[in-house]
Amino acid sequence: MKDPTCNLIVLIVVIPLMMGLLCVPLVNRTRLCRVIGSLSFSATFLLACTLLVVRGDQGVLVSQMGGWAAPYGITLVFDALSGLMLAAASLVALGTYLYSFGSLPHRTERRYFHPLVNLMMMGVNLSFLTGDLFNLFVAFEIMLMASYGLLVIGGGRAQLRQAYKYVAMNLLASSVFVIAAGMAYGMFGTLNIADLSRLAAHQAETQTLPTGFTALGVLFLFVFALKAGVFPLWFWLPDTYPTCPIAIAGLFGGVLTKVGLYAIARTFPLIFIQDGAGHTLVVILAIAAALTMFMGALGALAYTGLRRVLSLMLLIGVGYALFGIVVMSGGALEGAAFYMTQSMLVMAGLFLCCGLIERTTGTDETRRMGGLLGRPGMVWLGVMFFVGLLGVVGLPPTSGFYGKLVILREGLAGPFWLVGLVGLGVGALTLLAALRVWSTTFWGPPPEEQDSPQESDPATPPSRGRVSEYAGTALLVGASLAMGFAAEPVIGTAATAGKQLASPQVYLDAVLANPRYAAPEKTSPAPGPGSAAGSGGDPHHPHEAGHD
Amino acid sequence: MTFVIAVCVAVCFAVSVYLLLGRDLKGLAMGVFLLGHAANLSILAMSGSPVHPTDPVALLKTTPIADYDTPTDRALAGMVDPLPQALILTAIVIGFAVMGFMLTLLVVTARSTGTLEVDELAQPGDADADPSSESSAPQGAAS
Repeated sequence: MKDPTCNLIVLIVVIPLMMGLLCVPLVNRTRLCRVIGSLSFSATFLLACTLLVVRGDQGVLVSQMGGWAAPYGITLVFDALSGLMLAAASLVALGTYLYSFGSLPHRTERRYFHPLVNLMMMGVNLSFLTGDLFNLFVAFEIMLMASYGLLVIGGGRAQLRQAYKYVAMNLLASSVFVIAAGMAYGMFGTLNIADLSRLAAHQAETQTLPTGFTALGVLFLFVFALKAGVFPLWFWLPDTYPTCPIAIAGLFGGVLTKVGLYAIARTFPLIFIQDGAGHTLVVILAIAAALTMFMGALGALAYTGLRRVLSLMLLIGVGYALFGIVVMSGGALEGAAFYMTQSMLVMAGLFLCCGLIERTTGTDETRRMGGLLGRPGMVWLGVMFFVGLLGVVGLPPTSGFYGKLVILREGLAGPFWLVGLVGLGVGALTLLAALRVWSTTFWGPPPEEQDSPQESDPATPPSRGRVSEYAGTALLVGASLAMGFAAEPVIGTAATAGKQLASPQVYLDAVLANPRYAAPEKTSPAPGPGSAAGSGGDPHHPHEAGHD
Repeated sequence: MTFVIAVCVAVCFAVSVYLLLGRDLKGLAMGVFLLGHAANLSILAMSGSPVHPTDPVALLKTTPIADYDTPTDRALAGMVDPLPQALILTAIVIGFAVMGFMLTLLVVTARSTGTLEVDELAQPGDADADPSSESSAPQGAAS
């Protein structure tokens, strides 16, 4: 048998699924549902952290579903990058979930909010774990179906109107994903990511790559870039996120774009960018990264609606992380992994802060805010908001600094130094945008009286459950701050993630620990892949040899 | 046969893109469904032959079930590759769920706003108490 700890990976997907299903018959008992959901996200968070701490730096954990060896069955892979993403996503889910207790109206909550959140997190976790392109499509679909439901929950008119943009764009992307997966199967005869990587590397070496290889990469790029909100395909994002309830906007803003980025980081270094091919893709990605940052910063400076400004700041982060992925050295990938993790926490925290600000002012229009710091009880919210803004800008005490530092340092040394310079400039613009937000909300003169009537939404009950709202926000902002002050373990994990992404052989050896694939050119098991590959492969040997 | 499927895919794509670009939400939904059909058909066309052409590195296309018998070539001669069909089956099921969701969304939209035209839906109604409704007005001009 393989190392049984590997099978714990499955729980990360199964727990949200079971909890989500459990919530369906209990949907009217909101308290019970809340407990179930909180348990689910805490459990996945703890599980991801434990696996990272116990096994993370030793290698890649692989679980083959049903015991079917790698390229035939479904494979779940847990490496340092997926571990970081899983932990951060679960934490974001927990924080926004806590926040939703106080902020969502009871009626909305009973409309299957709890099952939808759980199932969405199941899809998210599965897409972080899967080692198979088609399974990735299925995971995306689970996540998207749940997110469509969450997007229109409550069903305001603006919500419905913007939902069509999101739904139609994502359905288009899903169809393209199916086509691209079919093309990949037609070209390579496999959909396992590790196997695809092996075949593509071999064919690049022997100059026999299929003709449409780069086109295939572009198709996948379209799909993932649309999910991530990369420049030409980002237009749906700042429209849809501001319309849903703020707890859900925080969850989407924290998690969903990062799934797309993760898919890019996972598949492109492994499959589509080989020695002999895919340089066009790198150039496309680099330009897209620069434009995403730049347009995001301009948008954040241009708009005054707080939710929209935050959505655009989210896009700036997407641009930086994408740049880190594009540079594709171990160091830059480390920076990207770190930056994606912290960006999840910070953006979700900022969205929640925005919700608390709206609770006080009754609007998200920054022109009608001002002087919030002077109001009673707003000091701590101000502190959290300020810390969050610093995290987005990436100023030293917060966690955003390290990620940006590494990405830009590696980027300026590489061939895309021009994008690095854009990144530096965008950093200044982001600072400007953050200062503008800060000075119009918490500082600055309070708005004139006739301009700020008590127009707070009558649908939201006045101040019920404030504790849980503050708890959720403080959890996320505190976690992002802790990542800055106690960065050592996270940086260590991110460095492992960077190394693993930059040298695909580790991933390949772990997933394809199957004697049939012990190809003649394969060297003896290097010390690098570690015990996951070695201990997994050897006991299988007599069993598998019988079939041949 | 591949040519026929290719023509079908092309026609499906053309019609669905036409529908997706329309101003009617019913057309949008139909376009999305047709797009799914086009995608499934194209998988069928692109899945290729069951055996990988004599590439020793690519082992997978010898299907695992036929692999246990010794005369693999004879078994494979009468088979098509089963995996693309499994993929299509999955995609059909997912597409079905999506179709159900889209139709529900259409019904809900029609009930709550009384229209299924994008142009009429895009006008911020007076019942629109959402805080973001104001900020979405300049956005339309910007994009």
